[in-house]
Amino acid sequence: MIELHDVTKQYGSLTAVDHISFSVGKGEYFALLGPNGAGKTTIVKMLLDFTRPTSGTLSVDGISSKEPAGRSAVGYLAENPRIPPNLTGWQYLQRCAELLGMRRSEATDQGGKIVELIGMKGREHTKVNTYSRGMIQRFGLGAALMGNPKLLILDEPTSGLDPIGIREIRQLLESLKRQGMTILLNSHYLSEVEKICDTAAIMNSGRLLLKDSISSIIKDGETLEDVFVRLVKG
Amino acid sequence: METPKANSIVLVVAKYTLADEVRQKSMIVMFVISALSVFLLRECYKGDYVVNGQALSADAIAWTLSKVIFHIIAAGAMFISALLTMRVFKRDRDEGMLSCILAKPIARWQYVAGKILGLWALSALFMFILHSIVFFITSLSMKTPIPAYLVASLICSFNLLFVVLAVFLLSLLLPDIAAFLCAAAVGLISLAVNGVHSLSQSQMGQAMMQQPAGPAPSGVSWWKALYYFWPNLFGSQLSASSLIGTDGGMPVYPLINVLLYCLILGVVLLRRFRDEDIV
Repeated sequence: MIELHDVTKQYGSLTAVDHISFSVGKGEYFALLGPNGAGKTTIVKMLLDFTRPTSGTLSVDGISSKEPAGRSAVGYLAENPRIPPNLTGWQYLQRCAELLGMRRSEATDQGGKIVELIGMKGREHTKVNTYSRGMIQRFGLGAALMGNPKLLILDEPTSGLDPIGIREIRQLLESLKRQGMTILLNSHYLSEVEKICDTAAIMNSGRLLLKDSISSIIKDGETLEDVFVRLVKG
Repeated sequence: METPKANSIVLVVAKYTLADEVRQKSMIVMFVISALSVFLLRECYKGDYVVNGQALSADAIAWTLSKVIFHIIAAGAMFISALLTMRVFKRDRDEGMLSCILAKPIARWQYVAGKILGLWALSALFMFILHSIVFFITSLSMKTPIPAYLVASLICSFNLLFVVLAVFLLSLLLPDIAAFLCAAAVGLISLAVNGVHSLSQSQMGQAMMQQPAGPAPSGVSWWKALYYFWPNLFGSQLSASSLIGTDGGMPVYPLINVLLYCLILGVVLLRRFRDEDIV
């Protein structure tokens, strides 16, 4: 579903991503881990063509990330998502649907299902400026789910949520995975990753330190956090 | 999920750009104040005016006033469209719409084209409504409609396209307010250059240039070069307004100048935005 081949990204003299190659299969729940500044968000940005690689190639569903068509399979939730404050959550979802080329009836139908899925039924018609950060996060996730994408790219999807919200989002993502959706998760919550992801890649200073299945990474009673700290510090 | 058609996406982006602007309270206030001001100008048509001891006829007053107001509205619309445009990219970035839109199967040119179309349509509509008010007042005062007034308004909308493109491009390179001020400076320089050009074409100007005490005229003077190569916004406005009344033929060069600049700015803007990092 995702292919990165020898990707490098430089900002002046700073190398944000250094010759990275990996792939994520269809239906895989993949976590991209690393300390701040490791290059995770740069990889996400390159996958969405928000920024271009200095060298190397990236593709989504077999289409180069430079092509807009490559994003037709992608739903994206940014870290700290923002929504225009003068809109209601419902208007935001409908706007996203229209930008995806959905018909009005289809958008209304799917919007209704998504509002229930993200647990915001009854609040969808109030203005975004009355929402908490967690509620905006949920509507951001809802917008990412519009159009039934094959791949979800989630940048810290549970940040700003309370423990119950985190659990609900986790359950939602698990159910999406059961439906065959591929998920790329960019997260600092290692215990969450350990619980729900199939594979993980650990990065530091733009380099890929490790990419393997979670079960292979965690050995001898170690937690993912132990492995992470050992790799990043070592 | 199918990739949506390119033109429909441009229209959707344009629609939301227009809707977002209209929803702004400042936009509504600006429009109401402008419309009221223009409407109140109808009292000027009723006055008695004497020039060189001769009373002006009602028709002459109406022609002259409608032309003056035409220019004020056209210049004001450029100012307002620059104000509206300077914040658009920043607002989309700050409110998350830029990343929301570009994370979808939408090409950058579609986003930019939609933004340009939306803002151009809004500012042209703004100007057209104000010109329409004057059109009705003048038509009522002269008891005969002047459809050329509305045609002139539509021609002037190319100036608004220039302003939208220029401010968009500048707002990618400079702080918003600097982009606005640069666009305003382009307009003011155009006004000054056209003033000098008109003076040079007048009898008085010709006489001044032929005075022996004056500086020797060089082959191509600086203002002539500016007149031909600077964005001729005011010249294009004068061209459009020549349709109103009996000024003779419409000078085409200023319009071609503005359209060429629009083309160049459009290409540069699209290329610049294509390489822009989205944050």
